Amino acid sequence: MRLPQFEYVEPKTLKEASKLLASDKGSLLLAGGTDLIVNMKHRVIQPKQVINLKAIPKLAYITEGKDGLRIGTLSILRDIASSPLIKERYPTLGQAVREVGAYAHQSMGTLGGNLCQGNRCRFYNQSAFWRGVRPPCFKTGGKVCYVVPVRPSGGPKSKECHSAYCGDLAPVLIALDAQIKILGPEGERSLPLKKLYTHNGKKPLALKKGEILKEILVPPASGKTLYLKWRLRDSLEFPIISLALHMEKDEKERIKKAKIVFSAVGGGPVEVIEAGKMLKNGLLDEQMIEKVSNQAVKEISPMRTSIHSPAYKRKMAGILLRQALEEISSESLIRSNSTL
Amino acid sequence: MKHILKLHINGEEYEVLTEIHKTLLEVLREDLGLTGTKRGCDLGTCGACTVLIEGRPYLSCLTLAVDVQGKKILTIEGLEKDGELHPLQKAFAEKGAIQCGFCTPGMILTAKAFLEEQPHPSEGEVKKAIAGNLCRCTGYVKIVEAILSVTDRSSEFGVGSSES
Repeated sequence: MRLPQFEYVEPKTLKEASKLLASDKGSLLLAGGTDLIVNMKHRVIQPKQVINLKAIPKLAYITEGKDGLRIGTLSILRDIASSPLIKERYPTLGQAVREVGAYAHQSMGTLGGNLCQGNRCRFYNQSAFWRGVRPPCFKTGGKVCYVVPVRPSGGPKSKECHSAYCGDLAPVLIALDAQIKILGPEGERSLPLKKLYTHNGKKPLALKKGEILKEILVPPASGKTLYLKWRLRDSLEFPIISLALHMEKDEKERIKKAKIVFSAVGGGPVEVIEAGKMLKNGLLDEQMIEKVSNQAVKEISPMRTSIHSPAYKRKMAGILLRQALEEISSESLIRSNSTL
Repeated sequence: MKHILKLHINGEEYEVLTEIHKTLLEVLREDLGLTGTKRGCDLGTCGACTVLIEGRPYLSCLTLAVDVQGKKILTIEGLEKDGELHPLQKAFAEKGAIQCGFCTPGMILTAKAFLEEQPHPSEGEVKKAIAGNLCRCTGYVKIVEAILSVTDRSSEFGVGSSES
């Protein structure tokens, strides 16, 4: 499949890149390319100009300071997974990185690119030929979303794109309270990673014109983080649904803090806030696990964006969360037994 | 509009007059005649087009040729030295890890990068490393055997070393 034609530029600084991105409406950023090039081949996106960020120096680094871990936006996924610092201090982040795509995707892909990857939907992640049988959907410039079909008898039409965010790293980083630094025409700004996602499929990222993700900051880690990814093959695939869980407990095993974030169930990474609140100040016993997993299932609303039905995804969400909570509770049981 | 790209492939410098929107795969196969790199799905799912850039596996169908100027590109053609096959190539031939052969260049290059990263992998780690390279003949058992046979763990799996 041939790529459409485009102008190609290689800015030498991030500021220059930001200026280029702001000046032309049809510009897009290229980092690893594993998401962008596929979408361009499918003619889902046809940028006038491709801005390659990889010629900009000093955007790939992993360092740890007082305020936590700093990762440059162009850090290669494989480097993050094999970094001794990540392995020792943030093993779950390393594990999640190894769950992205396959080996080659990990050696091409970057952290910034992974976080900014396009939303996915079975109706537009297809060739132009495949899509050609229907009028275009919201994502490809049309005025309809096929995820929510209009019944022959009429009824309300969906007013927005329901595509799902399917990234692996955003849920883990959100569970870890990561912040991001963005460079734009008006200078730098920081915001919680969670706020990067608009949950609107048509424009999933809250980046203003000319803004580029520059750095990811993860506060010092304590407690336990888990990432569970459910898919049919053990590699290469996007999640059917995945879950990141971060939990901190005090000495008496009482839960101080809990964050539960799902991927592939909504227009962005979905944090189930009520379920997280339920855990707070509680003890992780069988009753609590049951209650929290039931609550989480109610808080998500997956759509038919992949071949898997929303009902199935919902059920699996409960199962994954139960599995994660049981893993943490059995670990603390082992710990308390060993101290006896 | 055509541009001159300077590419460093298999230890040689090439100057190619070609379009800027061409992928590395297209330049390798169409402009340079290096057809050892295969075009499979062309969407980064099958791994048949894998080449090594600075020693790391890249899907050449998702890589712009203009983007890898000045970097060391290794394709399957550059693996043999002075008429002598690379140990991995020998192992694949000896173990019969080839059926139709279409996935073989990608498999061998992925395995090469992986073994340099991790010289003593377990069978499971090898399987995980080549999970992005599809073999539609489904000849995975012999491929895994061949890769393990060039590592020191060969005796554990009862397969002889290709060096002997």
